[in-house]
Amino acid sequence: MVIDITDVMPLFTWLLGPGWTEGLLFQPLVLAIVILLICGGLFWACRRMRKGDGSTSPGTGLALSIASLALILLILIGTAVLKSAPGKDAAAPFAGLAWLQGLLGAEWHQGALYHWLAAVVCGAAAVYGIAWIFTAIRRGPKLALETTGQAIGDCLLDVARLSPRRVAALAWLAVKESIRRRVVVVFAVFVLLLLFAGWFLDPGSPDPARLYLDFVLTWPSFLLILLVLFLSSMSLPVDIKSRTLHTIVTKPVRASEIVLGRIAGFTAVATFLLLVMALISYVFVARGLDHTHAISAGDLKPLDAAADVPTGFQGRTSEEFKHRHNVIVGQDGSGRVNIEKGHYHELQGDWKELLAKESGGKQFQLGPPRGQLMARVPVYGKIAFRDPLGEPTDKGINVGDEWTYRSYIQGGSLASAIWTFQGVTKERFPNGLPVELMLGVFRTHKGDMAKGVPGSLLVRNPGAPEDVKPVEVRIFESKEFQIDTQTIPLEFQTPEGKKDLFKDFVSDGKIEIWLRCAAPGQYFGVAQADMYLRARNASFAWNFAQGYIGIWLLTLVVISFGVLFSTFLSAPVALLATAGAMFGGLFHDFMYRLAMHQTYGGGPFESFLRILTQDNVTSELQPGLRATVVQTLDQPAELGLWLIASVLPDLSRYQVFANCVASGFHIPGDTILAYACRTFAFVLPLFVAAYLCMKNREVAQQ
Amino acid sequence: MQPEVVVETRNLTKDYRDFWGRRKVRALKALDLEIRRGEIFGLLGPNGSGKTTTIKLLLGLLFPTAGRALVFGRDATEVTKNERIGYLPEESYLYRFLNAEETLDFYGRLFNMPRPVRRQRVADLIEMVGLDWAKRRQLKEYSKGMTRRIGLAQALINDPELIVLDEPTTGLDPIGTREMKDLIIKLREEGKTVLLCSHLLADVQDVCDRIAILYQGELKEMGRVDRLLKVQDITEFRAAGLNAIGQEEVKRAIEQNNGHLVSFGNPTTTLEDLFLKIIRESEEHPGRRIRGVAEKK
Repeated sequence: MVIDITDVMPLFTWLLGPGWTEGLLFQPLVLAIVILLICGGLFWACRRMRKGDGSTSPGTGLALSIASLALILLILIGTAVLKSAPGKDAAAPFAGLAWLQGLLGAEWHQGALYHWLAAVVCGAAAVYGIAWIFTAIRRGPKLALETTGQAIGDCLLDVARLSPRRVAALAWLAVKESIRRRVVVVFAVFVLLLLFAGWFLDPGSPDPARLYLDFVLTWPSFLLILLVLFLSSMSLPVDIKSRTLHTIVTKPVRASEIVLGRIAGFTAVATFLLLVMALISYVFVARGLDHTHAISAGDLKPLDAAADVPTGFQGRTSEEFKHRHNVIVGQDGSGRVNIEKGHYHELQGDWKELLAKESGGKQFQLGPPRGQLMARVPVYGKIAFRDPLGEPTDKGINVGDEWTYRSYIQGGSLASAIWTFQGVTKERFPNGLPVELMLGVFRTHKGDMAKGVPGSLLVRNPGAPEDVKPVEVRIFESKEFQIDTQTIPLEFQTPEGKKDLFKDFVSDGKIEIWLRCAAPGQYFGVAQADMYLRARNASFAWNFAQGYIGIWLLTLVVISFGVLFSTFLSAPVALLATAGAMFGGLFHDFMYRLAMHQTYGGGPFESFLRILTQDNVTSELQPGLRATVVQTLDQPAELGLWLIASVLPDLSRYQVFANCVASGFHIPGDTILAYACRTFAFVLPLFVAAYLCMKNREVAQQ
Repeated sequence: MQPEVVVETRNLTKDYRDFWGRRKVRALKALDLEIRRGEIFGLLGPNGSGKTTTIKLLLGLLFPTAGRALVFGRDATEVTKNERIGYLPEESYLYRFLNAEETLDFYGRLFNMPRPVRRQRVADLIEMVGLDWAKRRQLKEYSKGMTRRIGLAQALINDPELIVLDEPTTGLDPIGTREMKDLIIKLREEGKTVLLCSHLLADVQDVCDRIAILYQGELKEMGRVDRLLKVQDITEFRAAGLNAIGQEEVKRAIEQNNGHLVSFGNPTTTLEDLFLKIIRESEEHPGRRIRGVAEKK
């Protein structure tokens, strides 16, 4: 299982760069003044623009044009200077702007916001440049400056004069239209799926919680995206074809309001459906996994049959959902139910009552399952490796697995995977360190298949000298395909005597935990996310809701694409284009690797040739005319793929929400906010593009 | 003082192009016209003459290939001018899944009308067009005439200064046509300007102050209706109660003054007037066949 949130950065660090707190702009007083000035200025400008009538004058247009051209030239010249300057890193165009550090903090150029601003400015400059060139060809350069500047000014006026009431009216219309198009069918399909889910969702599977959660997070996502795909891409073209849009466009409705109204309306529909689906899904999961077991005194046997006075009893509960639990009850009346399929139960009643002779064959019920629906809050560390000789190395061994997510450490040697954790304090972990492992295992010989491969956990103080060796604290048997919990106690015995975990092995809140495989000939597969400290449990209900928020964010992106394409394409073509953008986003990573020659088999033409000639994908093509032709044809294709991959959002990343919820991991708030920022970073340019297309479209021309 | 010019086109030209940008047809050729405040202006022409294209250019539904179109002194592509315009398209392109109240309320919201004002306006308009009894029914259940009336109501929702009517009487029965014409005249009396586009000449003749005649995208004639329709070299007298002797004397007077008698006889009323008269009398006396006027005499 792959968890993609091991490196959760605080939101503002991700947005503004690591040293933002030192930047002058972000000091509280300065920030407050700047915000006031900006808000005040915007408010004043909007009021002025709202009061005025008409469009941008030629003079203002000329001024805006000159400013835009100056900005383009500045970017072009600046980029050329940076590229030509000796010693400058061509891949870090911001490096030459180091003087901004005082204002924005150190390494400001690593901030997502600045990258986005740079991309947006470059994109806008490119669009402006193309528009100016085309206009200059037809009307001459001076008139082109005025015209394009006026267009910019009119766009700004349109934004300032946006009417929330009109947007709300158009959104309401979109909602009504959606209802007319029977959006409730989606809801009905979902309910039907749930009704029949019991036929194919097996609560007796090894991880039933994951199965159920995967189901209720995948199907609503699929159904909803299909719905908004159709709604958003077909709505405007149908209105244009039926001419109902004529009656709207002849009212004082701006193109931005039409676009925003559609986006808002379809988003409202999706939000409502998602809300209802989320509530129903939650109840479905909770009830679907709910079960209990029964146990009676007759099911218990003494732990030590030979002893006169048993020290305790053990037994098994009744079978429910294809499993039983082992029960151990002490003579003092303390009882414990083991964890099976990721959960355990508590006895409804007193264990002593169960043990009492009077209980006889009376069945005692265990309570509802616990620990099945959870939201672990993991503390991830940074991974490092040692080779079999104990020397530092970049990564572990590749055992031949195509999927290189995990690398392997050799058993019976000094090969280790080392995690360094931060923020480890006694207040945070008052009962020791709960370590959870999800290891992969590679066996070179079968060994004892009934048992796991033995391993050990060691701890080391990262502040200690290099020659200080780690100390072994736990020996365990690996459990594949499930999470194994090991607790490092607060105090433990070592050959050097009793040690205190926090006093002896933690410095500045950091600790190193080493993992070794004890069985020669066997290997443990590890990745950074495979070991973490379990800080606490967050609210499962809120985590579940966050999973649906992730679906909502994905839906918003699809709606924005659909509305954009619908402003200039016919209904079926817009639908195809939106679906294409969506699939492109889902396969973003593959497209990018294909464009950058990081896949086997070459580009599309080379791959096609290999299919025809049945050539191996890893071998080089035979030099010759064929190879030259296909590789030449691949170059523009790969450029096109690179452009598309650069523009499209990586929609596959949104699956992290469903993965986290289904795997029982808490989604950090900063992750949600970062994804929200990413979503709006795409939605905003898509809205602007849709607005420009709508504004320049002749609605009556079909 | 010359009345204010509400609509002005200068050298307005529109070409329809194909996907590759080649010109398919020149729908409008260098149109120059003016529409003044408070008049009813008729845009006439056969099918394909460019009437609807002109209207679409004025409303911003199309962009000119050359020339300019100005409405209230502003470019026709500016959205703000639509605050003062009402438009009744040839077919009422309305959302059929809304009912009458919802339709008018929706369009009222597009004018940023506050809710109480909007509610009152919607009620007034529904009453004006006589659809109070069907206001909660969806438009898909309406007849063509009813849809047309709601279309007219949405065109008037903002109490516009300029009303653009594209073939307003097409598909209406004679009573509906008469009501439409009366409404158009009433709008002029309220000081509004009406731009009327039609190929039904009789309807245009009844209501328009000025007309422009288009043919194949070109303006062929423009001017006041009464002046354009006046036949300069024919003099018409109408007399009531003239006996046969008097008729002969009039004929002799014409010949003596070098005139040439073109025709004489009893004038005819219009079919519309006859139709309306019969309907009115039928409503007053239901169940009785009304004898023809000629027969009665």
